[in-house]
Amino acid sequence: MKKLLAFALSAVMTMGCFAGCASQQEQVPTDGNIKIGVLAPLTGTNAEYGKGFEVGTQMAVDRINAAGGINGRNLELVVKDSKGDQKESSDLCRMFGDDQQIMAIIGDFTSGACMANAPIVDEAKIVQLSPTASNPDYAGMSDYCFSIMGRQDGEAPFYAKYILGKYMGVKKLGVIYINSDWGKSCFDNFKSQCDEEGLEIVEAVNYVQDEKDFSSLITKLKAASPDVICIMDQGAVPQVINQIRGSGWTDIPITTLGPGTSEQLIDLCGENAEGLLLTSPFFFDPDDAELTAWKDEFIKKAGFEPTIHPVCAYDCVSLLAEAIKACGDEVTRTNIRDNLAKVDIVGVSGPLKFNEGGDITRQYLICGVEDGKYVVKEGFDYSKEGN
Amino acid sequence: MRDFITKSKALYQKHKIWFNIAILVILVVLPLFIRQSYLMGVLCRILLYATLAGSLNAINGYSGQTCIGHAGFFCIGAYCEAILATRLGLSFWLALPIAGIVTAIFGGIIALPTLKMKGIYLSIVTLGFSEIVRLVALNWEGLTGGPMGIKGIPVPKVFGMQFSGSHTYYYIFLAIAVLFIFVTGRVIRSRVGRAWISIREDQLAAKSLGVQTSHYKSMNFMYGAFWAGIAGAAYAPYVRFIDSTMFTLDEGFNILSMVIIGGQGTLVGPVAGSVIVNLLTELLRPVGQWRMVAYGLLIIVMMWWRPQGLVGASDSILSGNTGKKRLSRKAKKGVSA
Repeated sequence: MKKLLAFALSAVMTMGCFAGCASQQEQVPTDGNIKIGVLAPLTGTNAEYGKGFEVGTQMAVDRINAAGGINGRNLELVVKDSKGDQKESSDLCRMFGDDQQIMAIIGDFTSGACMANAPIVDEAKIVQLSPTASNPDYAGMSDYCFSIMGRQDGEAPFYAKYILGKYMGVKKLGVIYINSDWGKSCFDNFKSQCDEEGLEIVEAVNYVQDEKDFSSLITKLKAASPDVICIMDQGAVPQVINQIRGSGWTDIPITTLGPGTSEQLIDLCGENAEGLLLTSPFFFDPDDAELTAWKDEFIKKAGFEPTIHPVCAYDCVSLLAEAIKACGDEVTRTNIRDNLAKVDIVGVSGPLKFNEGGDITRQYLICGVEDGKYVVKEGFDYSKEGN
Repeated sequence: MRDFITKSKALYQKHKIWFNIAILVILVVLPLFIRQSYLMGVLCRILLYATLAGSLNAINGYSGQTCIGHAGFFCIGAYCEAILATRLGLSFWLALPIAGIVTAIFGGIIALPTLKMKGIYLSIVTLGFSEIVRLVALNWEGLTGGPMGIKGIPVPKVFGMQFSGSHTYYYIFLAIAVLFIFVTGRVIRSRVGRAWISIREDQLAAKSLGVQTSHYKSMNFMYGAFWAGIAGAAYAPYVRFIDSTMFTLDEGFNILSMVIIGGQGTLVGPVAGSVIVNLLTELLRPVGQWRMVAYGLLIIVMMWWRPQGLVGASDSILSGNTGKKRLSRKAKKGVSA
């Protein structure tokens, strides 16, 4: 009974599944909406970022469509939940690849998922533009892979050379970083720049994702008596700062690379954040009406403050829209790819232009926290002023 | 209904070979009719998990040990293949069995100190083992690439044909799943398999009948680990990029849930579990975040209604039968016969 029942059940389910999907025939549409697939972790541990993706991309699409669309055609998003899981992401990526109506893919959140998808998009000849993939190897895996997060071989050396070397003029550094593809890449680039600049890393410690207690690492840093603490992470920075200050180590200057000008950081750190220095590729300038409006709209729709991730997701849509516009009447996947490689615009997150590999070389700001607010200490041109 | 089921079961038993051949033929020609690589991807996933869940079932379902850290074995197999293929340029066909053997050795290593443990204590040890493996993969940069993972894993080739997309790779997963079920079927019917089952039903009784329980238990762990390693080694070139985030505890629980839902202690159970869980994953996509809730409910209902799983071994301790109950049932049967 059991065996047969199971087989019959599974056979019926499988067949049902095929019957449902096998009928659609593919034709590249020349009018109607232009569909873009979005892979986002709407559930699972990265759900918050997935939500940011969803809201960020939809905001961009709404704006573009309200302004008359692209060459008379509207954009339409098809959002799928990848759960942040490589296997699901790959399956969905294949689904988008099969569907000739989908012209490009935005996503996924993690580098791992994006890299697992690279051979699939390469085969389907469809662009995978990731707002957040930070693994330096990702974009080079295929001509169809792009990332706008900005590689750490740009930001980490900037951090070492300009914030620590030029702006602060310190010599002995204590580094604490997250052991992830992003953190490792940051630290390696940071270290080689430090060697060049003659900065000494007196102690470097790392921790794994989801770690909560940093006290032993802080003790280790303290023992090396550095001039400044450098934190490289995106999520746990507030906890690290609070625990450093909480351990009674109040006189050490703290700098950070990664969280950008995150409001959450100030909320969580309060007093402890005072005097913090950081690099950021963009800044929500309260005097900039357009940016403030963007931020308010995002908060209204998502229910939380935007980080850099939804901003990048928003910019991904702008980039694709620009590329599609350049395609004219012949909107095909390969045309979008070729035009995307040439796009040169200024998005919410700063100037956007891809380099050969499909990455963006970003410009960075030096920001600081004063009286519970972020202020720009040095602008984008700081690195260009006579070194 | 019951009558129909018994009859069809008898029919299946009578023409077992033909049924199996028919199913196999359908599975072999299936890719010719499916053009979408998405569906093939789902089928590949079902077959991969059928092997993984099956190998976990060899441990949990047949010898009654509760391993919940199966992702660790999966991880070792995948990394082993990836390292052998990218560093030493070893062919996939050679790296596959090596990865299986290496994983089996790790299975043996974990089995030795845990022979005297059972139930929840053993589970916790396997859980810890799985995390240790993942953290080693994350931190041993020289060998595993650390957080950067390993990319550019070469795809298998045979006679100039490349297994690169889901359409072709399907056959590798199919071959492994079929081989696994065939071999396991033989093993279960052998002296070894009977020893495992006797340990599951009553370890003390098995011991008193001369079954060397520690010997067979560690062999059981190695057998399960071997196939998980094979599955991992087959998976690595399929995705061509692996990193430690693919082998978290969630992955282990996912495999476990397939075994629980499908059924423990039968060969077909994990296959059914893999089909159900993977298809549900796809079919429930529209309901978004409720998907995970549906899983949870399914497992709870399963434990309540059929503790041995949908098609699990119903004549076993797995189905909640105690020795006494079974005896009385046997006695009743005797009377009615």
